[in-house]
Amino acid sequence: MSAVPSLTWRAPRARPAPEPFRGGAAPDEARSSGADRADATVTLELEGLTKAFGATPALDAASLRVRAGTVHCVLGENGAGKSTLCNLVFGAHSPDAGTMRLYGEPYAPQRPADALAAGVAMVHQHFSLVPTMTVAENLLLGTGLRLRPPRRELLGELDAVADTYGLSLDPDARVDALPVGIRQQVEIVKCLLRKPRLLLLDEPTGVLDPAQIESLMATCRRIAEAGHAVVLVTHKLAEVARAGDEATVLRGGRVVGGGPLAGIAQSDLVAMMVGRRVAELDPLLAAGLGLEGARPEGVGPEGSGADESAVDAAPDGGGPPAPGATVPAAAAATSAGAPRAAALAVRGLTVRRPDGTTALDAVSLTVARGEILGVAGVEGNGQSELGAVLAGSLRARSGSVELDGHDITAAPPARRTRLGLGVVPEDRLHEGCIGELSVAENLFLARLADFRRYGLLDRRALNRAADEVVAAHAIRTEDSRAPMRTLSGGNQQKVVLARELALDPLVCLVASQPTRGLDIGAVGAVVTRLRDAAARGCGILLISSELSELLAVADRIVVMYRGRALGPVRTGEPGARERLGRLMTGADA
Amino acid sequence: MSPVSDLLSGGVHLALPVLLAASGELISERAGVLNLSLEGMMLTGAFASVAGALQSGDATVGVLCGVAAAVLFAALQAVLSVTLRADQVVVGIAANALALGATTYGSRVMLGDDRNATVPSFDELPVPGLSDIPYVGPALFAHTALGYAALALVAVIGLAASRRTGLGLAVDAAGEDAETADRSGLPVRGIRYACVLLAGLTAGLGGAQLALSEVHAFTDNMTAGIGYLAVVAVIAGRWRALPTALACVFFGIAQALQFTAPALGVDLPVAVLVMSPYVIALLAVSGLVGRSRAPACLTVPFARTG
Repeated sequence: MSAVPSLTWRAPRARPAPEPFRGGAAPDEARSSGADRADATVTLELEGLTKAFGATPALDAASLRVRAGTVHCVLGENGAGKSTLCNLVFGAHSPDAGTMRLYGEPYAPQRPADALAAGVAMVHQHFSLVPTMTVAENLLLGTGLRLRPPRRELLGELDAVADTYGLSLDPDARVDALPVGIRQQVEIVKCLLRKPRLLLLDEPTGVLDPAQIESLMATCRRIAEAGHAVVLVTHKLAEVARAGDEATVLRGGRVVGGGPLAGIAQSDLVAMMVGRRVAELDPLLAAGLGLEGARPEGVGPEGSGADESAVDAAPDGGGPPAPGATVPAAAAATSAGAPRAAALAVRGLTVRRPDGTTALDAVSLTVARGEILGVAGVEGNGQSELGAVLAGSLRARSGSVELDGHDITAAPPARRTRLGLGVVPEDRLHEGCIGELSVAENLFLARLADFRRYGLLDRRALNRAADEVVAAHAIRTEDSRAPMRTLSGGNQQKVVLARELALDPLVCLVASQPTRGLDIGAVGAVVTRLRDAAARGCGILLISSELSELLAVADRIVVMYRGRALGPVRTGEPGARERLGRLMTGADA
Repeated sequence: MSPVSDLLSGGVHLALPVLLAASGELISERAGVLNLSLEGMMLTGAFASVAGALQSGDATVGVLCGVAAAVLFAALQAVLSVTLRADQVVVGIAANALALGATTYGSRVMLGDDRNATVPSFDELPVPGLSDIPYVGPALFAHTALGYAALALVAVIGLAASRRTGLGLAVDAAGEDAETADRSGLPVRGIRYACVLLAGLTAGLGGAQLALSEVHAFTDNMTAGIGYLAVVAVIAGRWRALPTALACVFFGIAQALQFTAPALGVDLPVAVLVMSPYVIALLAVSGLVGRSRAPACLTVPFARTG
């Protein structure tokens, strides 16, 4: 590890990035130091921790040990119990069974205040900052109920944090005016100011661009080097490779493996997370896991040899290698026909937010029939607004939208649907379906007239039709009459997607973050459906913040940056990933 | 005195009970609890202060009784809306109906015999010199002891609740983003309890001020909606201290117009003047008087999930 902490937040990379772990071969410095720390003090010890929400156990007899001076990664798919584990340690939930020990002392926080008092701080996935307050006010919140907030002391401590961790902030900026990356820094500084002995980070990288992730990992290392313990919750293995010393893998609420990272191959971690051998995984799914270019070493007999070339082809191991193997196949499947008619044409679309800032700045793009056009970008650069304008839920200030030659710029959603525009909204539970209605009702809500009998709704026919869809799309539900909200996120998404793909005619599908929050199996199902639809001649606009996924699925990718659409970049081109990365961070803008 | 001076002075005097109640309500709403029961708290305070003053023969004891009763009443709102997470609007309306019934009945039972007895009250103590300043003097420097105390309390609350103090920050955090406040280690429910009880305290004082400084008696439903007016003032003041205070004074002056309009040569039906604060309130809520934004967690009960 570099001994001298850098004074800038964009710190030089602490170690070569996603170099795959090879069991024991050429261990780098951090890994050996991890081994040295084997008998260091145990900061946190969890024993048989169990928590159920309703009937389903979110965490089932989980035990783990976090040592001082280490970054301990907690890995698992969505719904594996990672967040629950953090919330139990932070006192936001109380365990049903099991014990916790902090520095050897029994530890049973009843509320977050208890955890904070015990020196445990947490960086939350969705931030815990009051948006209408300034940075300083947010940081002062933790100082208790005092008449005079210690503003001056705060500024001094901020300087100290800036010196130690290279995190400098403008204390007078309002939080809701800050980009997400900076908010993340505020959240971390808020924790650091409390001088925690144990820092929990719950999926901290979801909203960050690659450079920000890099510096966050460097910060994690520094915190560990200062003698504290860090618990880093993630489902992205590249992050584990960068910052972790030890790992614990959760699956279905149970601890399925773990230990010092020096002794575990990355492919084994994936196998533990997914419960399947890596070689059996679709390359795309591996990409979704942040496994691009990783070698499924020692797993499939044919695995290592095939991937070797892909890794070697990558530019000198510095940047993340492009998933060369997966792209041509995907592109070939969808870009067969040469001249294609435009399914969706967007010209000069401009949208302003209520506060007057520009959300979309003269965005123009065209989706051809049978094409998957990806929209990449760090969140908050206008993707949400683009999806909303196309869905008809947000009105553009200027510009036009044409669907298959029909002008739908000002068309209400119903007309868009009639003309063949399918929409998978970003917030599927609130905009994509009605939680209290049944799966069947949600599937056919727009076509209830088709199930009329004596003027009344023929529920039997409705449910029968729904059962067919449920079977065809492998939607896991007890019954098509079950309320939508009882389904898991992945299955809700399958229902929404099934409904939209059943439109007749279907000219274009706008899918906003369709794989967000889904586990690997569900991601695979969604992606397969999208590819099938494209193969049938439907144009698809796929808005996603997972670049690896887009690279594997899309034909072309545009990047949203500060409301502008940059690109497009063909996914088959050499160096596409690097080019996209530069566009996302504005380096090429 | 000139009619304008009368109007100002009358306006401030009429505004004072509303101002008191609004100051506590402002803090409570910024912490995330809407007390429609403010009306009931004021009525309870007015009744209990008169009853206490009559029983003890001392106006100060009366004030203490009024405040105590109103704080107890506020505790009902707090338990229901903070601990039991009941709908704050429903609780408020039901509580007001309860207060109206209870005080009307109470006045029959306790004040029945000595309806016409003189209630020990506060006398005006004009500050020598200052109260002779034209226009402002009678408005600001001719109050009762309770009135001065009320003005001072309102000023202290206004200052303590600004975001420049740790308390103000904690209150705003509880009302803007209760979950974040909780995760920052702040006792969200404790803060909300304290703020509702504070609203009870100031509303009780407001009721006592009305009964013992202005009217010198208790009559059925004597608050007649000024508790709602205080809630309206907070909305019209967009949850900020100074605009809320100005709204209260404005409402006071609108009420005072009823009495001074003839002298000013304005020929308007009294009912129109009585209506005016509510018309203004509707305009304020509808966003016609500038855009208003309520605390994000106002009326949203807080509970840790799981």
